[in-house]
Amino acid sequence: MPLIVTRDLRKVFRSAKRFPGALGALRGLFSPVYEDRVAVTGLSMEIERGEFIGYIGPNGAGKSTTIKMLTGILVPSGGEVEVAGIVPHRKRRENARNIGVVFGQRTQLYWDLPLVDSFELLRAIYGIPQDRYRRSLDAFVELLEMGDFLRTPVRQLSLGQRMRGDFAAAMLHEPPILYLDEPTIGLDVVAKEAIRTFVSRVNREQGTTIVLTTHDLADVERLCRRIVLIDHGRAIFDGPIERIKNEYGRERTLVVRFTETTSAPAIPGARLESLEGLTARFVFDRATQRVDRLVREVSDRYSVEDIAIEEPELEGIIRHIYTQGYAGEERSA
Amino acid sequence: MFAPYIEYARKAFAREATYRIELIAEIGSLVLRVYLLRSLWTALYAHNAAPTGLPLHSMVTYTTVALLMSLVLEVDGTRVIREKLREGGIAVDLMKPIVVPFAYFSDGIGQTLLHAAAIVPSLLFALLLVRIDVPSLPVLAIFFCSFALGYGVNFFVNFLMNGVAFWTLETFGLQLIVRWISDLLSGQILPLSFFPGWFGRAVFALPFAAIYSTPLLVYVGIIPPAKWAAALAVQATWLAVTAGASYLLWRAASRRVVVQGG
Ligand SMILES: Nc1ncnc2c1ncn2[C@@H]1O[C@H](COP(=O)(O)OP(=O)(O)O)[C@@H](O)[C@H]1O
Ligand SMILES: [Mg+2]
Repeated sequence: MPLIVTRDLRKVFRSAKRFPGALGALRGLFSPVYEDRVAVTGLSMEIERGEFIGYIGPNGAGKSTTIKMLTGILVPSGGEVEVAGIVPHRKRRENARNIGVVFGQRTQLYWDLPLVDSFELLRAIYGIPQDRYRRSLDAFVELLEMGDFLRTPVRQLSLGQRMRGDFAAAMLHEPPILYLDEPTIGLDVVAKEAIRTFVSRVNREQGTTIVLTTHDLADVERLCRRIVLIDHGRAIFDGPIERIKNEYGRERTLVVRFTETTSAPAIPGARLESLEGLTARFVFDRATQRVDRLVREVSDRYSVEDIAIEEPELEGIIRHIYTQGYAGEERSA
Repeated sequence: MFAPYIEYARKAFAREATYRIELIAEIGSLVLRVYLLRSLWTALYAHNAAPTGLPLHSMVTYTTVALLMSLVLEVDGTRVIREKLREGGIAVDLMKPIVVPFAYFSDGIGQTLLHAAAIVPSLLFALLLVRIDVPSLPVLAIFFCSFALGYGVNFFVNFLMNGVAFWTLETFGLQLIVRWISDLLSGQILPLSFFPGWFGRAVFALPFAAIYSTPLLVYVGIIPPAKWAAALAVQATWLAVTAGASYLLWRAASRRVVVQGG
């Protein structure tokens, strides 16, 4: 039995259209015109206990809306959703005990109070016994290196410090499920890395099921095995990262560095993409061309200093899918 | 079961306590207003410009006690609702295993308790400037009961006002108008018995009178012991009405947030 199940999940936002000016406001008041915006549609997915899912898509794709339906604070317009056997919006409070949530753009910490005060409030909210609270707080303080600012008012923390506080806050009650909505947005490289190490460890050691929403694909490549790709409210891919790479990333790049200036170098079976100084980039199809032959050809023809082969980056593949559409095989149901 | 809500109140208390300068300024401004109003009423009474029926010392007592009460009653504990709606914090609260309006109510209690702590020093300073009447023990007891009921009515009137933010986030104009009407019609500035004719009778039929006027009129003795029960019953009725309306508003509003998206 999967931990999280959605079937044909749908959310349509209905909002009154606004007209400009005071007259417009009046008109809106007396004869409102409604606009429907489909945020999520036909979303069916199953997530097993212990999985780490990258839920990705461009801005406005419907990621946050999905997370809100999974937390029970939004009622779906259609379809079904079940999290750990509970329909979230029917039993919001019961569901809340199973989940931890981190939003990159907002904090659940008390702005004016020392960080530790927010943790104390959460201890009372979840009824965590004192000794267990002490133990997990100590563990978080060590893992997230929060010792220096535990007693500092949250308003004085840097974004990276605050995010670490938010992670600890989301996990103090040791929930089996964690939803992370753009948690690394705006963080510097070091802070990002600290957070990534932390969540991957939580997933591995405690078996916490994690749904990560992001448009930083480096996060996903580092952390997730499976991705769900969503665009215009629709899941257009659901599967392992390798599969999307295989289907879309058949192209490889052969990077050749010559020892002397070479004009218009060419290799049969590969296309010259660029030539800058001594470095040429050839693109070839991995399925039809053998790498060893290409390498041999280029070193036979030219005087070569160095050769490297570049794998396609997830970033490039995803960008390609958003602009060209997904044309892979129908995803398995 | 109550532990989360007690903690919400404690955190609100601690949070408000970080605004120490504001609190000191509040006490200072209160003491100043006590002094100014005493001077004003003394001058008016000296020129017989004030309505009769209330001797000067009762009038000064009335305004001073009203100002002290305002330390607690002007705390808008439900302001958090408006802020949380505007900044989206309400979503985070809904993701917790709590009854959200109870949490906000507790937050309001915490804020109130902190401001209540300012009453004692304010009273001491005020007593250096004015002399106020101290009524008998039974009158004081009824005054505090009436004050508690008034606190409840005030809370829910604020709740209803801030709850409008669920439909339109811009509530500032409305706030200002309701605040102004409430200040005038609640008897905070003037005893309502001063208003003449039908208007004087009408103001007693509004919920605002239950906030300041009833406890204050008990304190200065305009409401005699024989009418205590009736006066408190009217307050209790307003408490029930505003609480009921708040419940309905919350139900409609939270449905709206959850169905429409916040
Ligand atoms: N409360 C709302 N009212 C109306 N439209 C909304 C609301 N919330 C989100 N939307 C719309 O739904 C779509 C999906 O939004 P969202 O789930 O926030 O996207 P993402 O998180 O992937 O960036 C967007 O077009 C957005 O404008
Ligand atoms: Mg989002």
